[in-house]
Amino acid sequence: MNEEKAVKKYIPMTETMFFILLSLQQEHHGYGIMQYVRQLTNNRIILGAGTIYNSLSRLESDGLIKALSDDDRRKTYITTELGKKILQAEAKRIAELYKNVKSLLKEPR
Amino acid sequence: MKNKKIVFFPAFKRVVPADFENWLEHMAAEGWHIERVRQWSSIIMIFKKGKSKKYRFVYDLQAVPGKDYIPTYEQFGWECLGRMASVYIWRMEYSGERPEAFTDNESIVGRDKRTIAAVSVSFSLFLLGALAATITAVFFSGSLSAGDRNQLIALAVFLIILAILLGTVMIYIYKKGKQQKE
Repeated sequence: MNEEKAVKKYIPMTETMFFILLSLQQEHHGYGIMQYVRQLTNNRIILGAGTIYNSLSRLESDGLIKALSDDDRRKTYITTELGKKILQAEAKRIAELYKNVKSLLKEPR
Repeated sequence: MKNKKIVFFPAFKRVVPADFENWLEHMAAEGWHIERVRQWSSIIMIFKKGKSKKYRFVYDLQAVPGKDYIPTYEQFGWECLGRMASVYIWRMEYSGERPEAFTDNESIVGRDKRTIAAVSVSFSLFLLGALAATITAVFFSGSLSAGDRNQLIALAVFLIILAILLGTVMIYIYKKGKQQKE
């Protein structure tokens, strides 16, 4: 999948996809992704096996992640260059959102 | 006291994945357990009486699962009971919070879509079969005996009824999914 198509398909990104892609800046297997995301979000997001398997399959077939080791029990993944670009584009979008709502987050005096 | 319960067409009576899961969970709570799910389990399921258990079941249609499909679920503590057609049935005993395999709306909708797509294949085949039988009965009636023609018409009617049934199932799954989303 080329970058233009990937941008159209993935941005704006669901929270699940975002955290999976974010976690795969380092090598992880499915269960490792769940643990990483759980820790990062203070137990707010606990990804299930079905969600992780389907998301990884989709990201891999679209070329945003790739498998590193492929033994029978544990397949580990990492983001590709395309995946990194899409993650950066989404991060920029979130930063813009944040910039625009920052004033709402200020505590009233 | 009976220690076996036989249920016919369980998957046809509960076509929405979440309904099927809830029914299995309810059965387990009443002490009725299945040890294995096999190809014919959608037609007949045999439950054995045991202790009441709190199990979460998951219905997951995967036509061509990757080789990491089963290990991924197992890493999360799910037990694979087997598959009927392309549907995998998973189970996990729990206490406290009910475990989920599909944790976001997108993947729940995706699971329902895969189920609808699988039903639509049979729907199309039945519809094509009905069309072919009707065309043959109408346009080639001269070369058919009255008995053959009647059999073809009966076949067409039967296939149309099945197609209507599957069409209704697809609409039902779609609507139920939409309700869950809301």
